[in-house]
Amino acid sequence: MNLASIALKNTRRNLFRTVLTVIGVGVAMLAFLLIRTVLTAWLVSAEYAAQDRLATRHKVTFIMTLPKRYVEDIRKLPGIQGATWMNWFGAKLPGHEDAFFGTFAVDPQSFLEVYDEIVVPAEHKTKWIENRRGALVGAQTARQFGWKVGDKVILEGTIFPGQWEFIVEGIYSASRKSIDQQSFYFHWNYMNDSLPASQQEQIGWIASKVPDAGQAATLAKKIDELFEPRDIQTLSMSERAMNTSFLGMISTLLDAMQIVSIVILIIMMLILGNTIAMGVRERTREYGVLRAIGFLPKHLSTFILVEAGVLGLLGGGLGLLAGFFLINYGVGRVMEETFTGLFPYFRVATQDMVISMVLSVALAVIASIVPAYNASKLHVTDALRKLG
Amino acid sequence: MNDANGTGGAPTLIRLDKVGKSYFRGKQPVEVLKDLDLTMPEGAFEALMGPSGSGKSTLLNLIAGLDSPSRGSITISGQDLGKMSESQRAAWRAQNVGFIFQTYNLLPVLTAAENVELPLLLTSVPSSQRRQRALTALRVVGLEDRAHHRPDQLSGGQQQRVAIARAIVTDPKLIVADEPTGDLDRESADQILELLVRLNKELNKTIVMVTHDPAAAERASVVRRLNKGALT
Repeated sequence: MNLASIALKNTRRNLFRTVLTVIGVGVAMLAFLLIRTVLTAWLVSAEYAAQDRLATRHKVTFIMTLPKRYVEDIRKLPGIQGATWMNWFGAKLPGHEDAFFGTFAVDPQSFLEVYDEIVVPAEHKTKWIENRRGALVGAQTARQFGWKVGDKVILEGTIFPGQWEFIVEGIYSASRKSIDQQSFYFHWNYMNDSLPASQQEQIGWIASKVPDAGQAATLAKKIDELFEPRDIQTLSMSERAMNTSFLGMISTLLDAMQIVSIVILIIMMLILGNTIAMGVRERTREYGVLRAIGFLPKHLSTFILVEAGVLGLLGGGLGLLAGFFLINYGVGRVMEETFTGLFPYFRVATQDMVISMVLSVALAVIASIVPAYNASKLHVTDALRKLG
Repeated sequence: MNDANGTGGAPTLIRLDKVGKSYFRGKQPVEVLKDLDLTMPEGAFEALMGPSGSGKSTLLNLIAGLDSPSRGSITISGQDLGKMSESQRAAWRAQNVGFIFQTYNLLPVLTAAENVELPLLLTSVPSSQRRQRALTALRVVGLEDRAHHRPDQLSGGQQQRVAIARAIVTDPKLIVADEPTGDLDRESADQILELLVRLNKELNKTIVMVTHDPAAAERASVVRRLNKGALT
């Protein structure tokens, strides 16, 4: 027996209360871990973006369009291995307005060359390229709506009003997580030809392939320099930088989530602080006796701090264990399959596990500092007077 | 029961010179002990009696080094408690004083043996010998077979015997007992008093006991009475 083992045994004193406290801390840590995982997954999505691809958009904002002729100008630049373009179409499936999947107008031939991680059977690829109304649909979206090759699909345009009819010519998967399996791609010409003359030949952005990530910054600069003297200037960046800038737009949401995670930690501290304070108050007699037989104030503080640390460790461990299995074997898989574009990797990160455990123990100890200090300041005879 | 010392020419263990203790109740000073002069020889078994508020527990606390006097000096085994710091007094108590309380005050999460072993954690006794010494102390109080029982598995009398084993495990010269039989039935109380007498006579422990119980006081070799902070 030693001082630490006594502190450990103290956690069994009121087992019901200890169990409730551990569960409380565990639930708080589980919530914290979930939020941390969402935040990490957001950032990881940028990491998964292709580094050997550049995105070129309007210098002012990505909702403003570029002239289609810019594509050929970019293709002519030394170092550019290929370029394609696309527009955000923003259509909905009638009857499933709440279901989200990206709809893009693309140039099929160059699109499949630049986005070479897209996996589609050769015969489907050929049919899609040949059919002006053909659509290439992500495997998850096809599964979600039960679409098969040959099916007719009608989408309701939101940016480009009207009903748009497509034939599913191919269902794709992806060899890398740099592209999701939810999107709906169709011929840019189909969209362009349907628009009024004043809106034709306008594209959303240009994606170009570069030999390696090391040349991305130089080539991005060259592209922007090329268009600097023109009426419409561009802003080029790696796909990863583009994703990161998108994250910047939702930084308020991310900040709010950070605040929620801090609030959760504060609640956890209050739960623990209350439990420890109650325990200390109930044990005033015992602390008096311990002080009488020679224990020092620092011993009492140690008992309390170690006990709090153990509660934090148990609660944190429970939350971590629950979070690990819930996220890695449940929610995470669903998120990855359903929102591949946003969360290509939705798993508990090692760093978040370490942060959770360290915070759980550290905050438990911090929460017990005041009760520990009060116990250490007890006067022996005052504490013994509570003997009744 | 008698009022004589009864310890022959034993050296003085406890000496109080003009010891007074005052508290403030708000701004009003309350004098609890009034300039007491007192000596107790080594091996004495003394009972302190008196009505509630007479100062007997305060006197016991001062003798045990739990509190310091407002004036005067207390010397135990030649050591002036007034010259010790708080932590020095705590270390001194761990080595030299055994405590027995009315409500036993065992740690409920520890077994009898662990409760007895507790004071040894503050000494230099090696961990390998601590358990052995705890079991020896439990044997002295007749509870070796209850070593692995927790307090809630023991009767009141048994718990008090465990508390006595805890009080003697460091082999202190002085044992202070505050109403040691106050929570016990007559039969258990008699067993506890018998044990204290044995510790006094066989192990030469000096025992100072506060009690309201005349039957308990009868077992002591000396009975001192306090009234309004003064020995009568």
